[in-house]
Amino acid sequence: MKKILLASTLCAALVYGADVLPMEKRTFDQSKFIPDISLIMDASFVDRNVKDDKVGHLELPGVAHGLLGSHSDGGDEHSTYNAKNGFNLNYAELVLSSSVDPFFTMDGVFHFSEHGAEIEELFFTSNALGHGTRVKGGKFNSNFGYLNEQHHHSWNFADMPLVYEAFLGMHGINEKGAQFQWTAPTPFYLMAGFEVLQGENEQMFGHKTIGDVENPIAEGKDAPAMYIGYIKASHDFGNTTLLGGLSYAQGESRIDHSEEEENPHAFSGDAKLYGTDFVVLHALDSYKSIKWQSEYLQRELDGIQYALDTDGTVLGSPSMLKKQSGLYSQLIYSHDKNWKTGLRYDTILKNDVTRNGSDVEQPNGLNKYTAMIEYHTSEFARFRVQYSRDNAMFNEDGAREKIDTVVFQANISIGAHAAHSF
Amino acid sequence: MNKFLLLFFLPLSLFAHLNIAVSYPYIGALTKTIGGDHIETVVLAKGNWDPHFIIPRPSLISKVRNADALIMNGGQLEIGWLPPLLNRAGNPKIEPNAKTFLNLSHHIELINKPASVDRSGGDIHPDGNPHFHLSPQNILLLANTIKDFLISIDTEHKAVYEKNHSEFLSMWNQKMKLWSEKMASKKGLKVIQFHDNLAYFNNAYGLVNIGTIEPLPGIPPSSKHTIETIELIKKEQPCCILHDVYHPTKTAEFISQKTGIKVVLMPHDIEALENINDLGSLFDHLTSAIK
Repeated sequence: MKKILLASTLCAALVYGADVLPMEKRTFDQSKFIPDISLIMDASFVDRNVKDDKVGHLELPGVAHGLLGSHSDGGDEHSTYNAKNGFNLNYAELVLSSSVDPFFTMDGVFHFSEHGAEIEELFFTSNALGHGTRVKGGKFNSNFGYLNEQHHHSWNFADMPLVYEAFLGMHGINEKGAQFQWTAPTPFYLMAGFEVLQGENEQMFGHKTIGDVENPIAEGKDAPAMYIGYIKASHDFGNTTLLGGLSYAQGESRIDHSEEEENPHAFSGDAKLYGTDFVVLHALDSYKSIKWQSEYLQRELDGIQYALDTDGTVLGSPSMLKKQSGLYSQLIYSHDKNWKTGLRYDTILKNDVTRNGSDVEQPNGLNKYTAMIEYHTSEFARFRVQYSRDNAMFNEDGAREKIDTVVFQANISIGAHAAHSF
Repeated sequence: MNKFLLLFFLPLSLFAHLNIAVSYPYIGALTKTIGGDHIETVVLAKGNWDPHFIIPRPSLISKVRNADALIMNGGQLEIGWLPPLLNRAGNPKIEPNAKTFLNLSHHIELINKPASVDRSGGDIHPDGNPHFHLSPQNILLLANTIKDFLISIDTEHKAVYEKNHSEFLSMWNQKMKLWSEKMASKKGLKVIQFHDNLAYFNNAYGLVNIGTIEPLPGIPPSSKHTIETIELIKKEQPCCILHDVYHPTKTAEFISQKTGIKVVLMPHDIEALENINDLGSLFDHLTSAIK
């Protein structure tokens, strides 16, 4: 209901702005204060060799499940990007941004899907403090690593790197909180940042009590429950730019899968995540470039795993220690303003799971290969064909399911000109 | 303690000079000429790149972070790359609306302002053609604007800036006479371009642009439009194709083969070609390029 009200107010405001009187003659005209608006659509056609009914049940053993397709959780339907064979409408993203006053700007990113709308980001930023400092507050994508801050439509592939999606879920670290960044007064780029976040990541972090508050399965902790720090540095050598970063996140972990239809379970403990990122961009001319981008993530989850009954009764509560790591490495060649092509390699390098002090055997060779080619009709429209071979997924019987996927993706935007950072 | 740390980090030059970041080399040259010893300029874009598409390298964030002032071209030429740099710099001195921020396009009358603004017309600039520095007359206006700007942020050295400005003025006026004489015989000559970035130059010397190789601003050449351009050239008999240095000349070479007219490389900024190292040599080259 609120959404409808919001939408109609917005429409009314826009219609009012289109009044017939010339702008300078409207006594109380405010139309010049309309923020920059853009709308981005992302749609795809998918051809996957595994049936939709099956793909949602596949898991990356010891790491994550529900990475592909759509699945239900306590009556809610969850879909990942490019979830189904055939046509997918991944999202409509509405972006509004403007200065608030001389001290702040505000940005809102609203994510609409067929299942509803979400505030993906809504934050204010202040640059007014000077000395290279920037403060952000609200809900935003963390600046952890390299890819995390970017939105889906600026990724070079239609899906997230395996290690990101497996460790952090399809939204990455997207949290309510506060961010402080400082750019050093050095001749080369050096930036350090610190973030205090609520800690509500679906795959890795969380602070809420699991189960009944009176008689909980695992007791929660009050937020903020997640802390992130990072340092990034960059230097140019002629037409080659190097950018490297080190990131660290730590926080409470409460993963609640107690309402799942099959094998309900939960985890409670502490989580640590280490990230290293490295980007090299070599510009051949104004339009032609080669970009090599790699990130390595390592995590440690230490706590108790609760095996549950469908009505929430604890069947077992072994201690659980997960030490896992993975990386992706991708190479993108931009031929001109129209054509780009790229390759990506994904792998889970380490998958050590210890239950009650004894090792749990996990399969090896969890990797994925992706290739893509894209055509831009202009800066505002992009069509991409992507093929991937995913060797990291296993079915309920513990057998590997090799997944071949072809995605034809269309990403179109209208409105304000998007200016992306490096 | 903090102050000592800052002293340690800041290059000493920052104390002696005003450190001014500028978007393009021509602004840097003009600012340095008028500012003289009292300013340092840091140019963000390279002169041989397409001014619309500059990679927002992180090193550029450091450059604007450390600047005391910023001068930009404006007219939406920097829209695709400068905003994220300013956003990350954490420097109130280079925020639009700060006294130490200058948008040159606000001080020039832009031409070719589109009557209707719609992206079906390509990647158009709603405020008009932003390549205004390629008219020698506009350089005078820009020099005056930059002089006033420098005085407004550093009144102490007013006399120096005025002196440097008047020296530049007399030098430039002499040069302009020479260029006018050189170009007098070219008046009314028809030309083709890749992108209409010489609009102000053509206006200044009476050259007539009859078409562009790109079908619409920012849209790469299509075979249909190329054939139309060849037909147009056969009918209108322009002297030559004036080509920028950053777009591939492949289509222009093809058209040249089919029609027999020359392709002439026209630098748009300092450092666009090897021997162009100041504003004077830029216009020396432009005014002698068409034979």
